[in-house]
Amino acid sequence: MKVRITGPGAGCTPHDTLAEVMNFNGLFLAPLSRRRLLFGSLIIPLALVGCGRKRTSSGQQIVDLFIESDGDFLAFRPDTLTCPSGALVRLTFHHAGQFLSALHNWVLVSPHQMEAVDKDVEKTDGIISKDDSRVIAAVPMCGKGETVMTQFTAPPPGDYPFFCSTPGHAVDMNGILHVTE
Amino acid sequence: MKRTTKILAVLASFGFVLTLAAPILAAQLKSPGTVKTALRLLVQVSNDFKRQIANKNFARVPHEYMEYTEAADALRSAIKDEPADFKAKVETRLKAAVAAAKTVSDMSGNTTDADKLAAEHAKAVTAMNSVFDLFPADLRPDPNAPPPGRGAKKN
Repeated sequence: MKVRITGPGAGCTPHDTLAEVMNFNGLFLAPLSRRRLLFGSLIIPLALVGCGRKRTSSGQQIVDLFIESDGDFLAFRPDTLTCPSGALVRLTFHHAGQFLSALHNWVLVSPHQMEAVDKDVEKTDGIISKDDSRVIAAVPMCGKGETVMTQFTAPPPGDYPFFCSTPGHAVDMNGILHVTE
Repeated sequence: MKRTTKILAVLASFGFVLTLAAPILAAQLKSPGTVKTALRLLVQVSNDFKRQIANKNFARVPHEYMEYTEAADALRSAIKDEPADFKAKVETRLKAAVAAAKTVSDMSGNTTDADKLAAEHAKAVTAMNSVFDLFPADLRPDPNAPPPGRGAKKN
């Protein structure tokens, strides 16, 4: 197997097994020298990171993102996310609260629309309408300990705000999705 | 004789140090991190209460009261291993704070006067602050501190 690494894991395919990646260049077939050990410790994490990048059958890049509430506090952890434009984003949101019954969700909207959408959904107790064209993606409201997922195609490059649409939460519980070229 | 005096002197100084350290040791809580979290939750919910009143979103106020009772329970759980007299002191003030929050919640069902509700909420904040007074200063949340997240709206 030939593996050319020019960046984090470049050259790996989803079909490359961990053993194949680790075995390249005879790394694990020969006695470990210090140089090989150092080389391996640098390259293996890069290779594994790269293999996390998957593609759909149509060639669209798949990016998995994870975000959670900061325990019971009104904040996202992390509060910034990044993905490339056009990628199929599979986002997992976890409500990490333990004490409060407050519901949380994750709503991605077009630039400069967070305040307006937040204001509008006050009337529906934070429930997002599927027909709202300002909303790019959203996960349903969930209670403490729950995990929900959504997937969407990353919009054109730019900074997109996300927030929790439970009334009163957005002022503190918000963040930015950086969509790169 | 000299040796006995020396031993006595050492023992006396040891006792003196222990006497000085006793209040400091007593002030130390068994789960300071959990206590700090619970106190922060009380402030967070109280601020959310205030925000719902300011936004005239009165229907949400009873829900905030429910969360307030949950934050109060989190504090009770955080101090469960503390001495009984300390727990009793906290419980008395905490009950008063929860009762004050309930008054705001009950009022929200009968009035749409945001100023009246805000005034009642201010009383609840005073009651909450008297709970905080029982805890070491470094554990008390700063109501003016920015939230842990991004804080101001990044639109």
